[in-house]
Amino acid sequence: MEKSIENIWKEGFLKNDDLTAPKINNLYNQKSIHIIDKFRRMFRINLISIVAGAFIFLIVSWFLHIPVMVAMFFVTLMVLVFINKSLLNELEKIDKGQNSYQYLKDFSQWIKKQIAINQRIATFMYPVFFMSFILGLWFNNAKDVYLGERLVKEILHVFPETYLVFGVPLIGIVIAGLIMAVLAWYGGRIYLWDLNIIYGSVLKKLDELLIDLESLRS
Amino acid sequence: MSNDFYNTSILPFAGIIIKLCRAYTNSQEDFEDYYQEVCLQIWRSKENFRDESEWSTWVYRISLNVCLTLLKKKKNNTQHFVSDVLPAEETEDNCAFSDESLNLLYAAIRKLSEIDRAVIMLYLEEKSQQEIADIIGTNPNNIGVRVQRIKMKLKKILDGKID
Repeated sequence: MEKSIENIWKEGFLKNDDLTAPKINNLYNQKSIHIIDKFRRMFRINLISIVAGAFIFLIVSWFLHIPVMVAMFFVTLMVLVFINKSLLNELEKIDKGQNSYQYLKDFSQWIKKQIAINQRIATFMYPVFFMSFILGLWFNNAKDVYLGERLVKEILHVFPETYLVFGVPLIGIVIAGLIMAVLAWYGGRIYLWDLNIIYGSVLKKLDELLIDLESLRS
Repeated sequence: MSNDFYNTSILPFAGIIIKLCRAYTNSQEDFEDYYQEVCLQIWRSKENFRDESEWSTWVYRISLNVCLTLLKKKKNNTQHFVSDVLPAEETEDNCAFSDESLNLLYAAIRKLSEIDRAVIMLYLEEKSQQEIADIIGTNPNNIGVRVQRIKMKLKKILDGKID
């Protein structure tokens, strides 16, 4: 007579030899391959790199006479670090001992929140970087005159009819505004595109698991 | 991790972990990685354990949650999620157990979706519908129907009707 799967299971495990635990060595020091730990590691390394890089750049900027540019970079990056550090703290609170649905749901919500926040940050971060760059150049102090003022003088010399707003050529303001709008438009999309390459399959799989679990809940 | 914790709190439940990890892996190497990772995560999460449930139930939950969300390395070193792995034929370890029928059953279980694997493993471990629902986080009323469907699917796979 054909055996049921229940019998195959019971009889198969009668010999306990098959359930001998594999040897584990130095377990605590091993690098975890779990996705939450991987995210945590990646986040931590990124945040430390950003803070270290921002400080080094800030010091170097003093010698390069571009402190205004780098100060704005620095403040923007610190805001980014602060927000992501609080996201990291939330990730560490996800309890692996809760039921699978809640666990996957919590993790999925964390990823989605993380993506939404960083996408929003990316939308204004690139324009702010661009503006920092422009302002940094403008206020670059060479020969006791700001570079921006020297540039305006040169422009007025060639095009005396140039319309100025608070001492800045209107055409320059319009072009800078357009570039910032383009950067804001593409900033979030670039972030999403980048993220999709790295974590696209993870997000897809999480959604599939949750859909399957939700079908069992309804 | 202290040897004491491993010997007293994990080793007595190694059977549960081994059975689950085998269902989500296709090779001995992957199985050992999963087993180690589950032990590591049990140890790391031990402070979160509440006396509201049995330790064994909690071990089930951690093992299952870890198996569902593990990143595994592919040969080209890129990382993939859960059992989003190489096709079964490429790496399948068909000799994990000494019982041939059990090996065939495991091969069939590995062809199921991740959630179906979890449900049938808990069912085969004689967990009640309520316990299965509590571990997975679903409605207990739907578990019975799902188990019947999975059993039919397994039977078809074992009969060679599904590849």
